[in-house]
Amino acid sequence: MKAIFALCIALLVTGCASPVSKTDFSAFQAAKPRSILVVPAVNKSLDVDAPNYLLTTLTEPLAEKGFYVFPVHTARTVLEQEGYYEGDAIHGQPPQVLANLFGADAVLYVTINRWDAKYVVLSTTVTVDFDYRMVAKDGTEIWKANKQLQYSPQNQNTGHPLGNLIAAAVSAAMTRADPNYLPLAIMANQQVFNMGPTAIPAGPYGVVN
Amino acid sequence: MKSMFKTVMAAAALLAVTGCATQKGLYDWGGYSGLLYQNYKKPETVAANLVKLQTHVSAMEQGKAKVAPGLYADLGTLYLQAGERDRALENYRKERAAWPESAGLMDSMIKNLDNKPAAEAKS
Repeated sequence: MKAIFALCIALLVTGCASPVSKTDFSAFQAAKPRSILVVPAVNKSLDVDAPNYLLTTLTEPLAEKGFYVFPVHTARTVLEQEGYYEGDAIHGQPPQVLANLFGADAVLYVTINRWDAKYVVLSTTVTVDFDYRMVAKDGTEIWKANKQLQYSPQNQNTGHPLGNLIAAAVSAAMTRADPNYLPLAIMANQQVFNMGPTAIPAGPYGVVN
Repeated sequence: MKSMFKTVMAAAALLAVTGCATQKGLYDWGGYSGLLYQNYKKPETVAANLVKLQTHVSAMEQGKAKVAPGLYADLGTLYLQAGERDRALENYRKERAAWPESAGLMDSMIKNLDNKPAAEAKS
């Protein structure tokens, strides 16, 4: 038991090491966005609720990076009033038009490639797969990334203590009748915005590393 | 003992997943994303979730803490959808005052409501 607590502390202390960035962020740095409009996602999965659910997970990680993130529920309502109900219609608009409508510096587009659960007799494999793309108000693409995450009970021993702990957290949310995809989606967002070569630079309210 | 082990593991995992965010978090979100999720998943909980978000925002104000970006505005929109135009306006004005980046959107939301009789405000 003590060992586990010690592990937690170690994770908390070391978990946030700055990633080594290899991506070209010159377009991002040139655009210097202060504010980001997150629009409803294009949905290529069969779960019609996926875009709404995903929408609720994107504000916090981006705002915690130091950006002003437009209120997602308000933005969705405004877009509906303008006649845009589906991600496809919204993503089809010129980014300049969307940015101008809201006064946003950048627009974040997400495409949901996968959001599904596959059941075999005793196991469940849950997969999320997202394409992310950020475009500045002048239409320049300033960042893009893809993230796929998969959970299945057999994979819980990932060979890495942090991986195992995350698997346990996701596992707690996976019930056969009504799997909750949110922890997996939240993890995908965290990884893509904060870790590895795709990690985006801090925004104006963020801590400058 | 086994169930306790599970609980500890789950807590540890939660810490590992959320540890970074809480450790150097800029804002207290008060469960905002979970409330929005509930609104979409269980529409019958919208009224209760509105109260929870208002309670959180009021607590932030009383503690002189910065209210996270978008919370006032989404609270305003939830009020608007509940037919409470004045409270919607009040929250849009607060969002605008707290976050200059929101000015364009908030001005048009406010203007839109000001031009509309109260009876038509419910969308």
